Amino acid sequence: MTSIVRNQWYVAAYGREVGRPDDGEALFSRTICGESILFWRTEAGEVTAMSDRCVHRRFPLSQAPSRLVGDTVVCGYHGFTYGADGGCVAVPGQTRIPRTARLKAYPTVEQDSFVWVFIGDPDKAESTRIPRAPWLDQEGWTVVSGMEPLAARASLLVDNLMDLSHETYLHGGYIGTPEVAETPITTEVDDAAGIVYVSRHMADAECPPFYAKSTGIEGRITRWQDIEFTPPCLYTLHSRIAPVGVLPGDDGSDPDAFHVEVVYAITPETENSTHDFWAVARDFALDDAEVTDFLRENNRTVVLQDVTALDVLEQVIAGEADGYQELSINIDTGGLAARRIIARMAAEGTGAPAANGAAVRTPAGSGR
Amino acid sequence: MALPPPREVLDGDRVLRVNWLPGSDRLRGRCHCGAETEVEDPVEMWEWLLAHPDHPAGGASEPVAEVPPPPAHVVTDPARVRHRAPVLV
Repeated sequence: MTSIVRNQWYVAAYGREVGRPDDGEALFSRTICGESILFWRTEAGEVTAMSDRCVHRRFPLSQAPSRLVGDTVVCGYHGFTYGADGGCVAVPGQTRIPRTARLKAYPTVEQDSFVWVFIGDPDKAESTRIPRAPWLDQEGWTVVSGMEPLAARASLLVDNLMDLSHETYLHGGYIGTPEVAETPITTEVDDAAGIVYVSRHMADAECPPFYAKSTGIEGRITRWQDIEFTPPCLYTLHSRIAPVGVLPGDDGSDPDAFHVEVVYAITPETENSTHDFWAVARDFALDDAEVTDFLRENNRTVVLQDVTALDVLEQVIAGEADGYQELSINIDTGGLAARRIIARMAAEGTGAPAANGAAVRTPAGSGR
Repeated sequence: MALPPPREVLDGDRVLRVNWLPGSDRLRGRCHCGAETEVEDPVEMWEWLLAHPDHPAGGASEPVAEVPPPPAHVVTDPARVRHRAPVLV
């Protein structure tokens, strides 16, 4: 059974990736949930998305010499021409356009700097939530962002991000310190809303270089990590950094802390590969280019440390029989909850019954 | 310095909560119906919480005393063998 959740919105790209290429340049294309999709902008600037294969002989429309002409895309092989809704408007050598000459069109929305695409039954798009990451396109925040291809299934990245104790070991010297793995978490799950929330509040922690160099804090810190995951795609880490003992005011104001919103969009490319979109938004040193460059490079390094580890893990898991034993402990409480919700969503998308229980990939072993 | 007790952030009607009790290895879970249990295993915890409204009486089960021997890591595909190098002796 597929592990990909259908009838959901996924991040397909940053808005800046999709444009109107000049003649001779390839159009933008990306495989999302196993479907090869062409993205381009109309002359009015609207993003449109459709299947990246001409219905005639399957030539990729993203491949030069395919090109945009006004608000149409012309196949570079035989000239089949499609409008922004995916309908064919011209075929070579004849006036009759076959009724089946249509590309699958995808609902899209541009929001919070992302291009979201709906994978599944388009009739369900309007009533399906698009989770928000407002900091990525909001006054008062400065953002660095990128995307790394991951040769691993999306669930491995979900596991990774839902349990930040791995920072201590995989990202030591960057974002990890001993206190992350040592500090207990609290986990909340709202099944109806489809949210998993995991908090790890460290009262007195070493300040890792990622935050020491970007905030200028010298000495130990109060560090809060609040994960808010809206399965299957959008993950936000609300990160709060302050000198030890500095807490928010009773009125909710928090002027003496540094806030970082670390956003990941986890978009399956195929069953065994993933687009790892990452963004770091901060509410301090907004115009400091040095801080911007540091956070961009440092966070990308951290992302690549995860990519390297998860690519290896994918190879290991792909070579194992289903149901191989693994072990879950307290640090996995949030990750198990996320797995369960994703499994339920995947089952809803296929009409199959949802798996009963939290550990979806782990029938043979449990936390014993 | 001690921090305040864990905040309850989500405010829906059907929120499940699991707190890792400070200074211990134990988890305390609370269903939206008010039922509570304690256990050391998150898998057991979610099974207990998700059994709503039929939470097993007496709380989540503790791990069994006898554990099976660990399995071998079986590799069937030669392409998946991680380290392979010639050896001369």
